Amino acid sequence: MTPAGIDSTLAALADPTRRGVIDLLRERPRRAGELAEAARMSAPAMSRHLRVLRTGKLIEESHPENDARQRIYRLRPEPFDALQIWLSEIQEFWNGQLASFKAFADAEAPE
Amino acid sequence: MSGKIMISIRLAVEPVAAFELFTARVDDWWRKGPKYQMLADKRPRLHFEPGEGGRLVEIYDDAGDMFEIGRILVWRPGERLVFEWRQPNFLADQVTEVDIAFTRVAGGTRLTLEHRGWAKLPADHPARHGLDDGRFMLLHARWWEDQFEALKRI
Repeated sequence: MTPAGIDSTLAALADPTRRGVIDLLRERPRRAGELAEAARMSAPAMSRHLRVLRTGKLIEESHPENDARQRIYRLRPEPFDALQIWLSEIQEFWNGQLASFKAFADAEAPE
Repeated sequence: MSGKIMISIRLAVEPVAAFELFTARVDDWWRKGPKYQMLADKRPRLHFEPGEGGRLVEIYDDAGDMFEIGRILVWRPGERLVFEWRQPNFLADQVTEVDIAFTRVAGGTRLTLEHRGWAKLPADHPARHGLDDGRFMLLHARWWEDQFEALKRI
């Protein structure tokens, strides 16, 4: 994943409503109306958030076979996997520092 | 894909001693090198100025050339240490926080480190670029509140 890709993932997640949407979609795909209701938000307001998430490629939109007007949203796993890899790199920094600290502190321990 | 990133280690020393070693002796255990320091081309000495309101600094020479990583927000020897974490490429009002708990356990201390506040950096911030630079390791994360969970034990 490119830095630009991570940036758009981070931007999309920088808002509490959108993080809430992600939480809901982690359980299962949901209709737009269901998401608006859960967030106590108007349909147009939710629609703007969904557009940001879609642009960031965090979610994708589909229609049920029997209703072309209905929109169903689901998570796309790829950006989260990339972010997780990136975060684990960052975590390695502290793993390295704390492993070093442990070796140092344990050597100071009384017999 | 969940919660928050925390790192937890177990130490063979008591909490008060662990806190003292972590802070007063930081320069003796802190890993150095391009992946681990603020300004890659310098040879820093790490120093905690004790007490709340003190600072964590990288000192480059005796003439006072230094980089302030952040202010100490909580200083409770043997219990808890919280300090700000700011990188050279952060803007003035941007900061993340490192929160370290020292908990007494049988035979020593459990140290739990959490680094939070990453979500405060805007998406177009330069700290989020240059990931193939070795220093991207310094782009410590946090953890969109409850988005990620990865409890890692050393």
